[in-house]
Amino acid sequence: MYHLALKMLLGDRAKYLMLVGGLTFATMLMTQQCGVFFGLLKWTTSHLSNMRAKLWVVDRKVEQANELKALRDTDVNRVRTVPGVAWAVPVYVTVQSAKLADGNFKPVMLVGLDNATLIGQPPVLLRGKLESVRLPNSVIVDELAVRRLSSGRAKPLDLGDTFELNDKEARIVGICRADKHFFGYPYVYSTYTQALQFAPKQRKMLSLILAEPAPGWSLDDAAAAIEAATGMKAYTEEKFFWATIWWYFKNTGIPIAFISTIALGFIVGMVISGQTFYAFVHENLRHLGALKAMGASNGLLVRMLLLQAFIVGFIGYGLGALLVVGFGRTAVARGEPPFMFPWQLPVATFCLVMSICALSAVLGIRKVVKIEPAIVFRG
Amino acid sequence: MLLFRQFTFYLALAGFAGAFLFVRQMQQKPPAPPPFVEPARSPYAAHVAATGILEAERENVKIAVPKAGLIQRVAVQVGSRVKTGDPLLQLDDREARAKLNTLRAQLESLRAALQTDRVMLADAVDQLVRAEKLARDKVISDDERKRRDFAKQNWDARIAKDEADLKAMEAQIAQSQTELDVLTVLAPRDGTILQVNVRAGEFAGTAPLEPLLILGEVEKLQVRAEVDEQNAPLVEANRPAVAYLKGDTQHALPLRFVRIEPFVIPKRSLTGDSAERVDTRVLQIIFELDRPAAPLYVGQQVDVFIERSATPRAARPDAAPASLTISQ
Repeated sequence: MYHLALKMLLGDRAKYLMLVGGLTFATMLMTQQCGVFFGLLKWTTSHLSNMRAKLWVVDRKVEQANELKALRDTDVNRVRTVPGVAWAVPVYVTVQSAKLADGNFKPVMLVGLDNATLIGQPPVLLRGKLESVRLPNSVIVDELAVRRLSSGRAKPLDLGDTFELNDKEARIVGICRADKHFFGYPYVYSTYTQALQFAPKQRKMLSLILAEPAPGWSLDDAAAAIEAATGMKAYTEEKFFWATIWWYFKNTGIPIAFISTIALGFIVGMVISGQTFYAFVHENLRHLGALKAMGASNGLLVRMLLLQAFIVGFIGYGLGALLVVGFGRTAVARGEPPFMFPWQLPVATFCLVMSICALSAVLGIRKVVKIEPAIVFRG
Repeated sequence: MLLFRQFTFYLALAGFAGAFLFVRQMQQKPPAPPPFVEPARSPYAAHVAATGILEAERENVKIAVPKAGLIQRVAVQVGSRVKTGDPLLQLDDREARAKLNTLRAQLESLRAALQTDRVMLADAVDQLVRAEKLARDKVISDDERKRRDFAKQNWDARIAKDEADLKAMEAQIAQSQTELDVLTVLAPRDGTILQVNVRAGEFAGTAPLEPLLILGEVEKLQVRAEVDEQNAPLVEANRPAVAYLKGDTQHALPLRFVRIEPFVIPKRSLTGDSAERVDTRVLQIIFELDRPAAPLYVGQQVDVFIERSATPRAARPDAAPASLTISQ
């Protein structure tokens, strides 16, 4: 009998593809939009993925990674003094203006790393040597900076080339790969003291302190000890990540835009597949009636319909996932558009697609249960 | 089975597999790159961290000249080790030497005059002796004898004046010698020449814009550690400490406590901008250290960890209220 159900489903190729297509579309819309949304939110935490450290010490009122309040230079030693801290290093982060060969200017994210240890170094160095950044006026730029800052030049920027950073000459000694910032600023790394030379002078210049807990101390204990002893805010890497994401979730309109698209995907998918499945059941009502007349129980018919619905859901979801994975892999390889694919995302969309199938099946089942076998002889 | 003949079925399977693998791939977070240089770590259970600077143990001496003059010779180079009394600079001494030579010649002339007068005195004494004998025999008059006597007294007085002149000349020569000696600048103490800012032939004034020479003690160095005033109550006297050079965080330099500077001063900024507003002050602690095998230079920055007694309350993270009072 189940074979018969499959034959019924797959027999009419156009209708079958129509059924699957609706769900594929719904899957794709929901998963891809969610992926882009998560990716965009992850871009807000690019500081964390570009300067890896277990503990981030910032001003007490700092809520997220992109809004930092400067600290005093001696605060580094105050953090070092806290029991539970193995080491602490200063980092300078601000947006500075780079002037291009054609007179145009572009904002860049200037990162100053501790001179001795270079902790917070770029994750992947493509060309050049990391220690060269200690040379005078030297910077390491990311690939985006090479693209952005090369406008107006005959050749793209390369090692040894210079550009103007805040009216001072900056020489490129390395090219790295860094995660993109939410605002699209390229990352430019230099040493802490060099960054202070590039940046305009302010009363307090230290942006944040990266630290690591001493052996035997958990991240949370060490963070609590720093907060207690210094009055500054100490985030673990994970907490800072989620604090930043939630800040954007609560304070910007981005989630509304994406959630409405996702809801639209769900509704459109549900309407299309529900309606198509209902029409499918309706057209096959005569055959189902004949089966009923031959003695098939209601239970058997319901199971047949459920089988048909979930096979359609399975195939539709699989095709949608295939398309999204293709899109996602391209996006990740190119670095844009933003994309992120946590395991919760495919699981959640699978459940949603299955619920669409279940709802569609229920509509058909209502019809089938109510028909009388006599319908076969009427028409 | 009918389903297995469907092309879409295999595409869907590929979609599931692709999603699974993609999730696995995205979950792989690359580990944080190891620090380029391992950061300095404290060897103590509880410590106060500070930033320090290497200094010569005693303050540097800016060598000056006693009087303005042309420099004839610079006897030392940068890095020369000198002992107390070693010559450092020679000012132009030709004039002083010429004067001394003149005075010496005059001294000889005075000596010769003295000699002449002594001969004259001997003659006068001889004549007086004979005149007295003749006077007793009444061969010559008393008047004659007295004239001989006065002649001898005259020569006595002349010799006394000559000797006084000689002493005065010797004093003048001694003065000239001192004036000559002063033109050679000597090392006031043992040490190493850290800077030489003059060359032979240059003019040295008595109040130069930059010191002519800097003499310092680099055999023994000291570390001036600066602790944020908010951590000042944690600093205890007579505690050991270690210092790490910037860039060499593996070799700890052991430090011995010398003193705590009793005056808390505004922090000197790294940017070196004199117009910068200061909002924090630092407590300075002086430590001494022995010169290790690795080269050290006066003026280098170091990370300092000063041991402190680990009170059980401060060592636990739940001791928040106790340590919070320190930060306020």
